[in-house]
Amino acid sequence: MISVESETKLKSGIRVVYVPKENIFQYLKERKEEGFDTLLMITGVDYRDHLEVVYHLLSTRTNERLVVKTKTDGEVDSVTPLWKGANWHERETWDLVGIKFRNHPNLRRILLAEGWVGHPLRKDYPMDKKQYVNLGDDGEDRVSFDNKEGY
Amino acid sequence: MSDSILVTSLDEALRWGTGKSLWPFTFGLACCAIEMMSAMGPDYDWARFGSDVFRDSPRHSDLMIVSGTVTKKMAPRIRRLYDQMAFPKFVISMGSCASAGGPYVRGYSVVDGVDQVVPVDVYIYGCPPRPEALIQALKMLQDRIVAGKVRH
Repeated sequence: MISVESETKLKSGIRVVYVPKENIFQYLKERKEEGFDTLLMITGVDYRDHLEVVYHLLSTRTNERLVVKTKTDGEVDSVTPLWKGANWHERETWDLVGIKFRNHPNLRRILLAEGWVGHPLRKDYPMDKKQYVNLGDDGEDRVSFDNKEGY
Repeated sequence: MSDSILVTSLDEALRWGTGKSLWPFTFGLACCAIEMMSAMGPDYDWARFGSDVFRDSPRHSDLMIVSGTVTKKMAPRIRRLYDQMAFPKFVISMGSCASAGGPYVRGYSVVDGVDQVVPVDVYIYGCPPRPEALIQALKMLQDRIVAGKVRH
């Protein structure tokens, strides 16, 4: 049984728990066995001094929801062995927030073009440094900082 | 004799035929596409104005309606699809996003208007524009094609 760092309850009755990043996989595995069988979403938040990964779970039997959060330094275990649907959620979180998921089967960018520099939802992402995308002859995207090279 | 025989030049007849038989290209990028589908559907039925079926292939279509946000990843694909369309070809930029970037204009992933990618004939404002606005844009484009005032 993995212990949680803190637990709060929202007005809507949804429990929000913080779990240490080393135990996140084990904790979510226990919750899945307990009845939280659906992973609604995974997302990431940049709080400047640390990154947070947020998991929303749903129990289809009791209609109960659970929000699991973990403070990370940018790397966390993938939960694709538990839920196949986590695959694209984790790729999106990697793409936009830049959180690495260990043991992910295919951790590539999913929304932005391959070769994009930086992760746009990070607070330190340089918004004034525009990037431009073009299509190469091989059908792959080319990213460059020169506006003559792409759109 | 002029009462019974319609006299015209071949060029004018061709322009009239081009304008009244535009086949749009199914090119929904965002929420504007819902309005475009509505314009096509039974309520607004823009087949009345001589622009009939939406085609799924760029090689069948004359008119590209860019209906929605043009992302930087999509822009080169738009250019490629535009290049695959046969002449004569026309572009309608539908809504704020396609015309100038819309609410995402300062974003990291959005092109500031589709006119940076392909030449545009008619712009429609609105977020999203109503189907009537799209039908008006179609009429404007048709009038300009028939009058020979449109670039290819």
